[in-house]
Amino acid sequence: MKALLLLHTLLLVSFAELSTLTVDDELVILDGNLSAGNSEDNCVVNDPSFGIKEEEVVEEQEPPPVSGHFNPFQKESLMDYPFEERLVLRPLPRNFLLASFQFNITSDELSIDKGASHFNSYAHNTVFPRSISPILEHTNTRQLHLRFTHGLWDAESWGQLPHNGSKSGGTGVEIWAVLESDSKQAAFAQWISLANSLSGLFCTSINFIGSDKTSYPVFSFQPSGENSLPLFNENSKLYLVRAALANEPICTENLTPFLKLLPTKGKSGVASLLDGHKVFDSHWHSLSIDIETRCDDTSCKYHMEEFVEMVVHVPNALDRAEKPIPKPVEEHELRCDESKPHDVFECFPLPESTDREFELSKLFGRYILGTNLVSRSPSRVCAEVGPNWSALVKVGNTYFSTDDNCFEIKGDELHDLYLQTSDTAQVASSEDVPIYVSRSLTGYGQDGGGLRTVFKNPSNETVSLVYFESLPWFMRLYLSSLKIESEDGLQLDDVITNTFYLPAIDRQRPTHLEYNLKVPPNSTFALSYQFDKALLKYAEYPPDANHGFDIESAVVTVLSPLKYEMRTATLLLSLSTPDFSMPYNVIILTSTIMGLAFGTIFNLMVKKLVTVEEADKSNGSVGSRIIFKFRERIKAIFKKKVPLFDESKKNQ
Amino acid sequence: MFSRELQVVVACLGSRFGVSLVFPLLQQQLDKSVEFSTPVTSYRSLEEGVFLLRNDFPVYSGGVVHHAPLLVVLMSALGNSALTSLLYACADALIAYQLIAMTRCFPKSKIPAWVPGALYVINPLVLLSSVSKSSVVFTNLAITTALLSAMQKRTLVAAAAIAMAGYLSLYPLLLLVPIFSLLPQEKLKVTFICLIVLSGLLLSSYKINNDDWNYLFSTYGVISTFSKIIPNLGLWWYFFVELFEMFIPFFKAVFNLFVVSCIIPFSLRFHDQPFYAFVLCLGWITLTKSYPTLGDGGFLLSFVPFFQPLYGYFRYSVISTLLFIHVIVLSPIFYHLWVDLGSGNSNFFYAISLVYALAVSTVLVDLVWAMLRIEYDNGTPNLNLKLTSI
Repeated sequence: MKALLLLHTLLLVSFAELSTLTVDDELVILDGNLSAGNSEDNCVVNDPSFGIKEEEVVEEQEPPPVSGHFNPFQKESLMDYPFEERLVLRPLPRNFLLASFQFNITSDELSIDKGASHFNSYAHNTVFPRSISPILEHTNTRQLHLRFTHGLWDAESWGQLPHNGSKSGGTGVEIWAVLESDSKQAAFAQWISLANSLSGLFCTSINFIGSDKTSYPVFSFQPSGENSLPLFNENSKLYLVRAALANEPICTENLTPFLKLLPTKGKSGVASLLDGHKVFDSHWHSLSIDIETRCDDTSCKYHMEEFVEMVVHVPNALDRAEKPIPKPVEEHELRCDESKPHDVFECFPLPESTDREFELSKLFGRYILGTNLVSRSPSRVCAEVGPNWSALVKVGNTYFSTDDNCFEIKGDELHDLYLQTSDTAQVASSEDVPIYVSRSLTGYGQDGGGLRTVFKNPSNETVSLVYFESLPWFMRLYLSSLKIESEDGLQLDDVITNTFYLPAIDRQRPTHLEYNLKVPPNSTFALSYQFDKALLKYAEYPPDANHGFDIESAVVTVLSPLKYEMRTATLLLSLSTPDFSMPYNVIILTSTIMGLAFGTIFNLMVKKLVTVEEADKSNGSVGSRIIFKFRERIKAIFKKKVPLFDESKKNQ
Repeated sequence: MFSRELQVVVACLGSRFGVSLVFPLLQQQLDKSVEFSTPVTSYRSLEEGVFLLRNDFPVYSGGVVHHAPLLVVLMSALGNSALTSLLYACADALIAYQLIAMTRCFPKSKIPAWVPGALYVINPLVLLSSVSKSSVVFTNLAITTALLSAMQKRTLVAAAAIAMAGYLSLYPLLLLVPIFSLLPQEKLKVTFICLIVLSGLLLSSYKINNDDWNYLFSTYGVISTFSKIIPNLGLWWYFFVELFEMFIPFFKAVFNLFVVSCIIPFSLRFHDQPFYAFVLCLGWITLTKSYPTLGDGGFLLSFVPFFQPLYGYFRYSVISTLLFIHVIVLSPIFYHLWVDLGSGNSNFFYAISLVYALAVSTVLVDLVWAMLRIEYDNGTPNLNLKLTSI
């Protein structure tokens, strides 16, 4: 508790400092300069009218259209912080566009001997977020990886995930960290502390991570790079801890803290394009943070990579920007198949047009507000496009192009990117994924079911991978029911080379399952196993109990032929629910039955057996005697008329 | 006559084994039904234990295995499914045989010795329970062994068998109390042997389980704290689902006390009819245990034929028969409506579990009443006399 309070104060302090920093930064930016788009090796197109054509691009160097401003950053600058940013745009098939914002930040040198008690001492911060480092120091975190992902990556048409999948998580929030600690218990305490701190920082429910969601991966999530895992204390060990929250909605409020971590705060550089509405309107988006502690012989530094990636459907996004309120397509805009009958009432639509031209500002609703101003290397925007695309950067009203389609953003002028193609189907080819993995629930009842995972290796090479699955405790898994279905006659022993299994403990630990698999070339097989669903206690059900429970995605780490990481989709597990209006009734009814059984038996055993007549007479109390006499009277009255009455009376 | 008894035992063996062989999928179906399988008795949980044991995974570190370690090891040694079917059939046949042997202990009994055994064999609840390979069969075998040996004054076997029953599913340990009345001269010896055998079993389990006591919670802890909330025919599950969190520890204590509550009273009150006291205690445990199955109920009903002289005194025989039929017919239907179709809710099945409790308790009340009556009549039934208790 104390630790929490302490941490809270610490957070407050760091936030306070953060806010002052923000002001400073803004001052810096305002201070900054009036630079123009420099075109050392850029080609310039002067074309105020937007509808430029390829032919009009003059592949010659021309002086920048706007000049004469003083630009201190062109020369050796004092603003030379370890910060880099980049925006990569890659058109995908079917009019999709992958936009990947990448930020690299390195901290100043850390003093290694800083223990948990000294973290409040003076520390110099430049571009590395002030709010992060105390958390890392307090919890002895050597590596921290955070993923906010939502949507479906269509691997069959889009190919591999960006960065070999190493920067995108499963749907929801995923977090893993390498903690330095004396024992597993202490590591867990640090982990919870870390989760609580990050929860406040990123406006998420990471604080809902408890021991029932935490697992300690064995084969997966192995931290890369030996020099990024320093031990500050020789007696302690490193612990890899991981948890995921599949039901966490990712939304605008998560993006804002991401931007706040950047030295530019989203006010300049490529980050100025990021608008929550546009980011979360996309088909697939992933926000990620990776922080590593990198040490050389003398010093250590935090190195942070922040990625914001999204896949937008370009026509939809443009339509939405133009017509915020959707209206039916007007008649003259309909693209009808001319070879078939068409009139006002009848139209066989043609496929989407393959011609496309758009500006980034239309897609994001914003312009790039100049370069980031804090690092020596200017912000870069790259378009990874096919040969029949043209990519031009627009500075002011001037268009520039480069050979490699990468543009440096310089100065503080508004920048925009113009992309144009005659055939959107021709995109820069992306590599095929080494393996397709999909997981689904089987069974129909709410008391049990099965998990079935299909592995498909389309390549000609054997793929070896690690399959990681962490399942909630209320799925009572029967690993003995593990079966393989394969048309190629594969057996379990053929594909599974190693298994790690840690069964769940109710409310304390998730099921932790990891397989090392070898998937033979050109083969498909399915692994399935059965589970029972436990009933939860009344108060453990969420308010929307019948919605079901999100099961976090399984993680597939491909080890060979290439390093690749991917997640399956999350699953929705429906549990049987009790009647939530019943608590009192149940307590009353069950108690009644118990009381009835016990009471009757106890009564029979402790009391004396006598004949009915004896019982009537012998009861000593005045009241019972009066009742007896009264009953005798009534009997006397009815005796002759209703002889049966006496019998029935006696029977009782 | 002897051949008739042999026929019964062979029929028992044949029917169980035959059904298992002819309908191999029936076992899985029954094992998934809440009426015949609970987390602590189901065969798939036992299979999981065998699987984990063979693959060197932790068997009792959480997970779904709640069977005693020795049982898991035994199953692991057997391996083959036909062999296990045979084992279950043999255990059931042995129970049938022991019921017959018990009848012989009552020389005055008017019913032929083979009748209780035959009724056990044709009892569908017991048959299905055995086919589902519920570990209840082994507990029941240990209980009948204890009872028979106690009646035959074989102290050692009786005490060891009761320890075995307790080892397998905790609550039968309470049957030690009525065993005292069966062996009145050897109470100390019985206690002593029972303790020795039990600690031997627990220690060997400890050794088998890689020197870890964690199996204690997974087996007995789960039974007495009802920590796996899965619907069953007992009184516990819905109560603890619906109860407010803060009262749960208190009511767990209450429910456990409730199991114990009638054991000593029965044993004291029916000290002169120890067999009777034993059956009543068994009935009480069937009613109040945390994970009951219909197999337990069927087992209890197999003792009713012994009380043929009391039949005339039964007051609710029609009601209890109807209640049992009600439960057997409606419980699968209501459970299906709730869990599979979603057109009913949990209250449907809860109502059935209440009816089942009512059915078992009417049988118990009737038995108690009938015995009190025949005591009053000094063994010669006088059905015309109207009695009441004050």
